[in-house]
Amino acid sequence: MITAELKNVTKAYGDKTVVDQVNLQIQEGEILALLGPNGSGKTTLLKILALIEAPTSGVVEFQSEAVTAKNAEQLRMQSTLVFQKTTLFDSTVYSNVAYGLKIRKIPREVLDEKVAKALKLVKLEGFEKRPAKKLSGGEQQRVAIARAVALKTKLLLLDEPTANLDPKNAAIIEEVIAAVNREDKTTIVMATHNMFQAKALPHRIALMNEGKITEVGSPADVFGNLSRNLARFAAVDNTFAGTAKATAAGTTMVDIGNGVQIEVTAQKRGEVSLFVNPQDIILSKSAVESSARNVFKGKITEIKDLGSLVKLKVNVGKPFTVQITKRSFIEMGLNLNSEIYIAFKASSVQVL
Amino acid sequence: MVDVLGGIIKAFELIATGDPTLYGIVARTLFFSSIAVVLAMLWGTPIALLISLRNFRGRTIIKAFFNSLIGVPTVVLGLVLFLIFSKSGPLGFLGLLYTPAAIILGEAVLVTPILISIMSNAIEAVDPEIMNLAKTLGASESQAAIAVLKEALNGVLLSNIASFNRAIAELGVALLVGGNIAGLTDVLTTAISRYTARGELDFAIALGILLMLIVFGINVVLIMARKAKMLFTLWRNPQ
Amino acid sequence: MHTWQKLIIIATLSTVILIAGTVAYFNYFAKRRLIISTTTSLYDTALLDEIEKRYETTHNVDINIISAGTGIAIQHAQNGDADIILIHSPAMEKTFLEQGYGVNRKIIAYNFFTIVGPENDPAGVTGKNATEALKSIAVYGERLADQSGQTKVWVSRGDNSGTHSKEQNLWKAAGYNYTLVSAEPWYASVGSGMGDTLNVANQKTAYTLADIGTYLKFYTDGVISLSALITEEQALLNVYSVMAVNQTYHEQINYADAMDFIEYLVSDEAQQFITDYGKADYGKSLFYGAVQPLKSNAPQPIVSWIKSAAFFDGSECPPQYRKNYPQLYS
Repeated sequence: MITAELKNVTKAYGDKTVVDQVNLQIQEGEILALLGPNGSGKTTLLKILALIEAPTSGVVEFQSEAVTAKNAEQLRMQSTLVFQKTTLFDSTVYSNVAYGLKIRKIPREVLDEKVAKALKLVKLEGFEKRPAKKLSGGEQQRVAIARAVALKTKLLLLDEPTANLDPKNAAIIEEVIAAVNREDKTTIVMATHNMFQAKALPHRIALMNEGKITEVGSPADVFGNLSRNLARFAAVDNTFAGTAKATAAGTTMVDIGNGVQIEVTAQKRGEVSLFVNPQDIILSKSAVESSARNVFKGKITEIKDLGSLVKLKVNVGKPFTVQITKRSFIEMGLNLNSEIYIAFKASSVQVL
Repeated sequence: MVDVLGGIIKAFELIATGDPTLYGIVARTLFFSSIAVVLAMLWGTPIALLISLRNFRGRTIIKAFFNSLIGVPTVVLGLVLFLIFSKSGPLGFLGLLYTPAAIILGEAVLVTPILISIMSNAIEAVDPEIMNLAKTLGASESQAAIAVLKEALNGVLLSNIASFNRAIAELGVALLVGGNIAGLTDVLTTAISRYTARGELDFAIALGILLMLIVFGINVVLIMARKAKMLFTLWRNPQ
Repeated sequence: MHTWQKLIIIATLSTVILIAGTVAYFNYFAKRRLIISTTTSLYDTALLDEIEKRYETTHNVDINIISAGTGIAIQHAQNGDADIILIHSPAMEKTFLEQGYGVNRKIIAYNFFTIVGPENDPAGVTGKNATEALKSIAVYGERLADQSGQTKVWVSRGDNSGTHSKEQNLWKAAGYNYTLVSAEPWYASVGSGMGDTLNVANQKTAYTLADIGTYLKFYTDGVISLSALITEEQALLNVYSVMAVNQTYHEQINYADAMDFIEYLVSDEAQQFITDYGKADYGKSLFYGAVQPLKSNAPQPIVSWIKSAAFFDGSECPPQYRKNYPQLYS
């Protein structure tokens, strides 16, 4: 069974084409991950699937029924989208989670029970009366997830559900995603940047670049055969494509361009893709001697506050994503454009 | 000289004894102003929603237009409406001049710009994703618009209170299209001017006290509502 | 359908219901409406309010009184916004009849304007006639030490009312160019009703021309402390007339009720009421009924003053301006 299908779907804003001739089938019960760099059209594609944006051309089918302006409002009931930027109504947690249920005219007694169940799932039991906007960032996103899963829609759309969260909150949300897919057979489409999420959760992966879907396949395929595209498009953080060569010392060096050469332990040669876990990278203000084989100097180009953690982008010729605790971020006195060294072991680099 | 103190004492007597003429005027004033604000809400809300949620050419000009209309003197509007409602005017055949409907319509027109300006500012301050959020949770177009209005609730309330304030305190429209007919179209402001002209100062003072009490009461509500953060920013950046 | 479209439909419907409801109410459910546009001097003494009450007890009509200056009262009649006008400016009334907007004029009352001023009378007008008094006031004003415009000697209605046109005529009779006089620094123009003008004159301890009704009421109530310095003389005569608005131009005019009310005003009962009005409170009549004096040609010389001031071609309403109702002029 096909839950939703996009046929030749194009979306343009003015003369800017954001989604370009996309064909995609979403199978019932699957988790499909959309991977792609920022601005590749993932968010717009999700909004089209959620039927809150109409395509400029092409057909969207929901359970084999073509979506029109007339039936969109009705069909929208069967899917729901969780936005990348946490968006909450300025009211209580209860009102937030109950909103969609109330629109579906669920009777009061059942309503309370369903809200409580959804909150339990995201580990926010008893939070009903709290003002939603006073919660921490991670808790707010969990409310948004609870609000979506409470509806038990056929299709659940998630736009970077854990992008700006610390590992604890991210883990809770990943558990919820897995649980609703397993227990409620909910079909899930999620956009992600996270290597581990993309590898662990989805049944299939669609790779998106410049509005087009370039590859669709199982995670094994994508991270195996298709890995170069994955790296080239920076679809997930810290993936790079390069050429592996043996050094005089018998180790392997991978040239990923812009003068950046990374030492790895894998004995591969030729075209390879690399991945470095953002948590495995160490930051220092000066070049310290250590066992780390890879040390680069660069500038901080982006800072994202994730609550207890901070996510930084450091450009050393190639952009690296680094995740450190907020405490060390403050203690080191880092700012945008601060000069900084990044260091990681050769053994931390995964070669795909 | 005018016996102000005696006038004030007599005024309080009138207020305390529940003088029917006095409270008739108060009731009429509150009634006309409330209906006027409800009407202005009905035709102002869709305009506010349109200019704050949709992007179209001329949107800024329309906003600037309503903003500048806020300052129109009430007598000028009263004069324009008088010419329209007069029997020889374009809507004269309806026979609305010197009826309560003329005052209500006039005051509704008067407060519409202030209502639209405050409401559209409040709606624009709402996260633009709220509309999509409501829709993806199953809301229809109308339900989503209501969700946006709910997020802008403070601003919507402020727009209503400010409109009511303006309607209740204005003189020009009520005088020129209402005619200040005793027992039919006289409101607090016009009645004050009548009783002052007649030298019945105790009555004028009593009406003045009641008008001040009502306006003061409204502003107390406003100040309390202003404690809300969004309202505060609205207040500081009214444009 | 979009929310805003729904809201616009609801708004339009509500507006239509409000208008339709009002139109239906006044046309089918309310008592017949008779709109009287009158001068502030008649309105502010509340004489008309009392006449309205008496009339409404015996007639199934709702009288609505709009108080404005004579100028706007005439405008109302021309527009068809009033059914009757009650004013006191014979010159304007004449033009009005000639243009065909008004019919069946009846002189219903008279009284005298009075020149009021501070009790100590610094300009020395007491005992003079009206024009001499104005001259003294102007001379006093010109000799004032303060010519900055802060000190005022004369306060004018300045609102194109009957009282205002009377004042203009008096200045002309005294030999002044009104435009120049009104620009003098000691001359204040209020642009408002009689009550407001008296209040301003009182504040400024200045002179002004007032109708006796409003003056007596304000004086007796202790609102002002100005004295009536010059009263009953020909130049200060004030004649009130009533006219029905001609249906020829505006067919919605409530002509039948207008004529009925005019007949009531000239009846002995109403005339007596007008003459007695305020006597008990102020010790003096505010108005005198004019119907009986004109019939019996007495008291003199007042009747001859009325005739010379407010008769056109030897009649209060020449035959070409009458429309039915011959009993009014028998």
